[in-house]
Amino acid sequence: MPRIAGVDIPENKKIRYSLRYIYGIGPKFCDDILETAGVDPEKKAHELEEREVSMIASVIDDGYIVEGALRRQTQQNIQRLRDIRCYRGDRHRRGLPVRGQRTKCNARTRKGRKKTVAGKKGVK
Amino acid sequence: MGRSLKKGPYVDEKLYRKVMLQNEAGSRRSPIRTWARSCTIVPEFVGHTFQVHNGRQFTDVFVTEDMVGHKLGEFSLTRVFRGHTNKKEGIKSG
Repeated sequence: MPRIAGVDIPENKKIRYSLRYIYGIGPKFCDDILETAGVDPEKKAHELEEREVSMIASVIDDGYIVEGALRRQTQQNIQRLRDIRCYRGDRHRRGLPVRGQRTKCNARTRKGRKKTVAGKKGVK
Repeated sequence: MGRSLKKGPYVDEKLYRKVMLQNEAGSRRSPIRTWARSCTIVPEFVGHTFQVHNGRQFTDVFVTEDMVGHKLGEFSLTRVFRGHTNKKEGIKSG
């Protein structure tokens, strides 16, 4: 079982698909990487030679931010917004949608499960 | 959607002039009152204090390097949310 970019161990799928199990690599980056690495995308992940695996790994190392580093970067970007106390940072702090969506109803992804308010009509 | 690169960032001209005047004079003491909330913060603004109108008052905004690229209005909130009324307590007492 090949091991690329630290902890990730994709399985007996074609490398074209198994590479996408790495955080930060989607369809587009996956194909780009395989092309620069010169690896046949239709090959199963376990059929890859040692050389090919290290080739893929080095391509990712050089030009792509994945996994922990990417998560950290995203977190830093949010932290920056919070620190400069701007509107967007404020929305992050309150856990409300950041990009101007309505919050009268919906917005459940950001607000979490419904919190029923006692005493409201129809809830009794 | 972002603004066309051809035009460059939107910077309020009068405000920009005032900032440059202060920069030349070397003194960055006096805060600048402004209504130009939609004005982008450019690097020249760093270190200045603005009083940005929020529709009611002027909020003090001290510009730091991190704020470059944002608009002045992002730092002067226009709404006040004091939380929802506590219905629970209303029922207990009733």
